[in-house]
Amino acid sequence: MDSFLASIGQHLFVIFGLIACASAAVMIFSRSAVHSVLAFLFAMLCVSVCYFAQQAEFLGVAQLLVYAGGIVVLFLFVVMLVELSKFKEGGIFQAQAKVAIPLVLAAFGLFAFFFRQALFAAPAKDALTLPAEISGGLDVAANNAQAVSRGLFSGWLLPFEILSVILLVALVGAIVLAKAERA
Amino acid sequence: MQMTLTQTLVMALIQIVAVLAFIFVVVPMLTFAERKVIGYVQVRLGATRIAGGRKGLTGAVNKIMWWMGHFPVISFFRGLPTFMADGIKLVTKEDIMPAKADKFVFWLAPILCMVPAFAVFAAITFYPGVLGVFPTWVPIVGGLPVDGYITDINVGLLYILGLASVGVYGIVLGAWASNSKYPLLGGLRSAAQVISYEVPLTLSLLAPVILTGSLNFKTMSVELATGMSPWAILPLFIGFFAYITCGFAETNRVPFDLAEAESELVSGFHTEYTGMKFGWFFLSEYTNMIVVSALASAFFLGGHYFLPFGFQQFVPASWGWFAQPHLIFFLLKVFFLLFVFLWVRATLPRYRYDQLMSVGWKYFIPLTLVNLFIAGLVRFMA
Repeated sequence: MDSFLASIGQHLFVIFGLIACASAAVMIFSRSAVHSVLAFLFAMLCVSVCYFAQQAEFLGVAQLLVYAGGIVVLFLFVVMLVELSKFKEGGIFQAQAKVAIPLVLAAFGLFAFFFRQALFAAPAKDALTLPAEISGGLDVAANNAQAVSRGLFSGWLLPFEILSVILLVALVGAIVLAKAERA
Repeated sequence: MQMTLTQTLVMALIQIVAVLAFIFVVVPMLTFAERKVIGYVQVRLGATRIAGGRKGLTGAVNKIMWWMGHFPVISFFRGLPTFMADGIKLVTKEDIMPAKADKFVFWLAPILCMVPAFAVFAAITFYPGVLGVFPTWVPIVGGLPVDGYITDINVGLLYILGLASVGVYGIVLGAWASNSKYPLLGGLRSAAQVISYEVPLTLSLLAPVILTGSLNFKTMSVELATGMSPWAILPLFIGFFAYITCGFAETNRVPFDLAEAESELVSGFHTEYTGMKFGWFFLSEYTNMIVVSALASAFFLGGHYFLPFGFQQFVPASWGWFAQPHLIFFLLKVFFLLFVFLWVRATLPRYRYDQLMSVGWKYFIPLTLVNLFIAGLVRFMA
């Protein structure tokens, strides 16, 4: 049964990856902002299923909890209160197109350049996993949550803390911006 | 014995049907119990008569209910015909959609509310072991043991929290799609409330996680009941009250039901919903109550064991039946907490919106953080 699950995992990964891409496209091309947020939510749920299909259940649930349950709700909260017809009259979306299209193309080119190796080169010899001195004999595949925590809090503590400081800086910046607007 | 794929799927299907049957029996009975319990607490008759004339079927039913009132225990069931009529009304009522509603989202919202509420049950352990064995003559699953849980996910608690946090979309989207002021105001209130109270709720559940060092529902509930040091009783005790209060706020129940405050917002986010679409919102609210009660009883009230808050460790093995885990203990605790939901609704008035927010951010988050610290200390000492 495990072999069947492993093979179905690959197929599920591809199927839900494609659905995620499709809903991301819906998010961009949808006329209504709330429909965009819904498509975004659906894309996030599909990414979570992709993690599950790869048996990374901790990442899958974290994706569900943080993105689907937290961040997209805030998006929805804001979008519901915005009247988009005002922006449509001002032609704000058309004005951005001149700058946005070259930027998107450039970004896409960069991504293609760096990811061509990942797509077309031979697969990596070693699975991406914790070094033995950090995992300490833990069965990483079966104990996702423990493995992630060991990695974050023993192997890569400094980068993790730096990331949290960056988030804090972004938070303070957001508060400063919001305050300046009110004054 | 290794089960084949078909056997695994059929077994899971049987368990799912059993759990769904449990939900669909308990939820309607809960609405009936709500009416009756509140009726008794507030010295009202509850729904003890039905509309109609003095003659014919309705008259006969009313006469029987009047007669039942003379007997102590039977009198509780006097409202039963009203409850049945209520169910029939819910299913057969006309389904109205507002002309300017966003049709797709309006239709999607009750589903988004209901699916996570039901899917959560996949990770809930009703009994930490084998409930029974199918007799060998049963076609596909003959001779196989039935576990007291559908799945035993490694990160079960996180899965439950993740799905519970998705449930808020149903409320917010239903409110927005109705294209009407009161639902929108109710939905916004509800979104703010649920997001705020998710923080102390998760923090209060982290105390059991620290104490056991696991995220697996089964391991946690068994460990918390039996394998704790006596000092762990304190963080479990504080955590229980923090959790159950935040659970009230998460399920939008009185005294935190600001999303559907009748006196201000007609009926809140589901004002424009009728018929069975409203029924699904209703059903998911009560299902969420069961989920909150199940988590509280599994993690804080000793779960499948007799005594709550880790007191079970003082029970000697000589107590026999009371020293073992039983499904009935778990269900009794769940039903008691469901009764507490109704009890609180009958007793407490609704909070004001700013009070609700200040209670959440200024009192519960610090309290649960302190509780988390105590739990860490207990774990460190042990």
